[in-house]
Amino acid sequence: MRRVEGQELPLDFSPLFQHISHMPVRLTTAKTAPRSLIAISDFLSITFGITPCALLVILALAGCGSESPSDAGDAATLSAWAHAGRQAERETLAAQVARFNQTNSDIRIDLTFIPEGAYNSQVQAAALAGDLPDLLEFDGPFLYNYVWQNQLRPIRGLISPETYDSLIPSMIEQGTYNGDFWSVGQFDSGLGLFADRSKLEAVGARIPTHPSEAWTVEEFEEILAKLAERDPDGQVLDLKLNYRGEWYTYAFSPALVSAGGGLIARPEYGTAEGVLDGPESIGVMSRFQRWVEEAHFVDPNVDDNAFAGGRVALSWVGHWEYDRYRETLGDNLVLLPLPDFGGGSRTGQGSWSWGVTRTCPHPEAAGAFLDFLLRDRQVLEMVAANGAVPATRGAIEQSDHYAEGKPLNLYVAQLTGGFAVPRPRTPAYPVITTVFQGTFNDILDGADPRRALERAAREITRDIADNRGYPDVEAER
Amino acid sequence: MTQPPSQRHRFRRRFNRPAFAGPVMAVPGVLGLLLFIAIPFLTAVALSFTNLRMGSPLPTEFVGLQQYQRIFADEGFRRALINTVLFAAVMVPVQTVLALSLALLLNQELKGKAFFRTVFFMPVVFPMALVAVIWELIYAPGPNGILNSFLDLVSFGTLGPVDVLHDPALALPGIMLLSLWQGVGFQMVVLLAGLQSIPGVLYEAAAVDRAGKIQQFLHITLPQLRNALIFTALVTTILAFRVYAQVEITTRGGPVDATTTVMYETVRTVFDRQQVGQASAMTVVFFFMVLAVTLIQRALVKQEREIA
Repeated sequence: MRRVEGQELPLDFSPLFQHISHMPVRLTTAKTAPRSLIAISDFLSITFGITPCALLVILALAGCGSESPSDAGDAATLSAWAHAGRQAERETLAAQVARFNQTNSDIRIDLTFIPEGAYNSQVQAAALAGDLPDLLEFDGPFLYNYVWQNQLRPIRGLISPETYDSLIPSMIEQGTYNGDFWSVGQFDSGLGLFADRSKLEAVGARIPTHPSEAWTVEEFEEILAKLAERDPDGQVLDLKLNYRGEWYTYAFSPALVSAGGGLIARPEYGTAEGVLDGPESIGVMSRFQRWVEEAHFVDPNVDDNAFAGGRVALSWVGHWEYDRYRETLGDNLVLLPLPDFGGGSRTGQGSWSWGVTRTCPHPEAAGAFLDFLLRDRQVLEMVAANGAVPATRGAIEQSDHYAEGKPLNLYVAQLTGGFAVPRPRTPAYPVITTVFQGTFNDILDGADPRRALERAAREITRDIADNRGYPDVEAER
Repeated sequence: MTQPPSQRHRFRRRFNRPAFAGPVMAVPGVLGLLLFIAIPFLTAVALSFTNLRMGSPLPTEFVGLQQYQRIFADEGFRRALINTVLFAAVMVPVQTVLALSLALLLNQELKGKAFFRTVFFMPVVFPMALVAVIWELIYAPGPNGILNSFLDLVSFGTLGPVDVLHDPALALPGIMLLSLWQGVGFQMVVLLAGLQSIPGVLYEAAAVDRAGKIQQFLHITLPQLRNALIFTALVTTILAFRVYAQVEITTRGGPVDATTTVMYETVRTVFDRQQVGQASAMTVVFFFMVLAVTLIQRALVKQEREIA
């Protein structure tokens, strides 16, 4: 998941001051954490937009600064960039880096947090200036573009075979591209419906416990209608429309796949026409539009408190809300699979993961660091901090959320049972997601789904054609 | 007489000749113009004929006028052009008139004058990002939003809750309103300074001639404020064409392109889609648009001068 913000108080204005912290925050101890996460949305890309040129300069300067020699003697110093997620997540990573540096006297990791609002843009700018770090964290689906741009190196030979074998299938799927393995992360994500059990029982709704038993979309709409009858304002569903950005692609493109459509023709990734604007995709988007525009089932959730505040019965959201929802709903909280739009329930997957850049002078040291991050202890610490699905089988077994019979085991069933669809594994992904986000917004605001999707499909297909189908430039040479 | 003094004299005379001194003194300014305006602009023109993409390993190719054909064929960009012109066309007169009214109001002898001046000027100091977020909360949809509660109150419940930022007809006016609130204080201060520099004797003379308040305003205040008004109109125009931050924060160009602007489309093209060539073409079009408006304004101002 790229955007996990919005969990704090809706009136948290701290992001407004984040534009000051455009400069990557250098972290050497766990104490100096950068500013808190973004509450409403995307302030960084805003401020970024205001000063794109200044940013390049700042990045260049910051790059020069981080090359200053450390007192680590002849240790191999590696620079690493990570996204500035939630505070607990940042502190955990910083502590793990500190621990790694302590136990490995010959390797030193120099960690820098980058605000996640415009993360990809900042990476692109740094790549342009030749200032990429040695270890780079990025949101899963951006991997394929970075590989195509020849910024990363394969890591299969850098990490230990044990680490590779411990990964759950969705992690291997996300990290594999063009026959090589490129990235590995400590956690995957889980997406589903959180529900208020008592409200569902009041309308006599069936409660599915496995993704194969998911509600059909017709059943889902019936339940929404019944719930709406009993609800004072008729708004019973939260789609987290306050998140915007990458959330739209992550959360709602699986519904297109479930219906038989999708963002782009797989596995060739040559065109979006006939798929994104095919009848199945149009059908799904029309349903979403109807839920919002006509039936008024969907709470706009401006304050991010629709479900926790008891205003709605169902929340279409990722794993990161579990703790907060659990606090307010207690045992009434139940996790359900997303509805089946025709071809079985489909859900999202993928999250932040690490890659090693081409310019990294000590790839083996980087591999050792990744091995360290993926040991059960580190993985469990991280998922305790951010609530995500552990990326290794060993950690899942030891987890008190995700193990067999535990409350969030459904996520594991989704990720390991073939119900999770990776976002398109193509270098065109950054364009695909940008176009889809805008289109989804337009459709919810009342645009004709067919016209909007046709325009989006044209735009994506044209980008692919402009890049000559994203040929493997390395192989051509 | 010896040679050196006369030589020195000749040198000094030569340096003092306008033909020599002028260009020398202009050098820093011209250099700055070249470095910060001419060269970037010419680079943009050159890039707009290529398909340069940020970070792409593919070679950059010359594509002729293709980028221009594309942006003019693109619904989004055409709508952005219209929106930007519309935004400027509404903002310049409305903001100037409003600023003038506020300035006249605050130029009177009233209690707490300094307090009111501060209050009206304060939004100018706020960063646009902050202003946009505050207004996003004001425009919050649903009956509990600040604006909707207010509408409900003043209309005795007849005006239903509106979702300003998601309504294609209301979104752009909504952005205009918040921009107005943020920007009007600046023009007000400039006009206030202009008002205070008008000599009081002019009004006294007019009063002796039995000119009423309205006549005094039309024949003394306005002509005396001409330069200040021209300045504020010019600055407002420039700021209006650059509208970006409030769009990015509140609507992201939506709903369905209703609030997209040229700046917004350009930034999106280069930073979301990595199309540097295409974004360059957009900035070139934008440059000529602003140039045209500036030329028109200059022509109008010249006419005024001839009349005066």
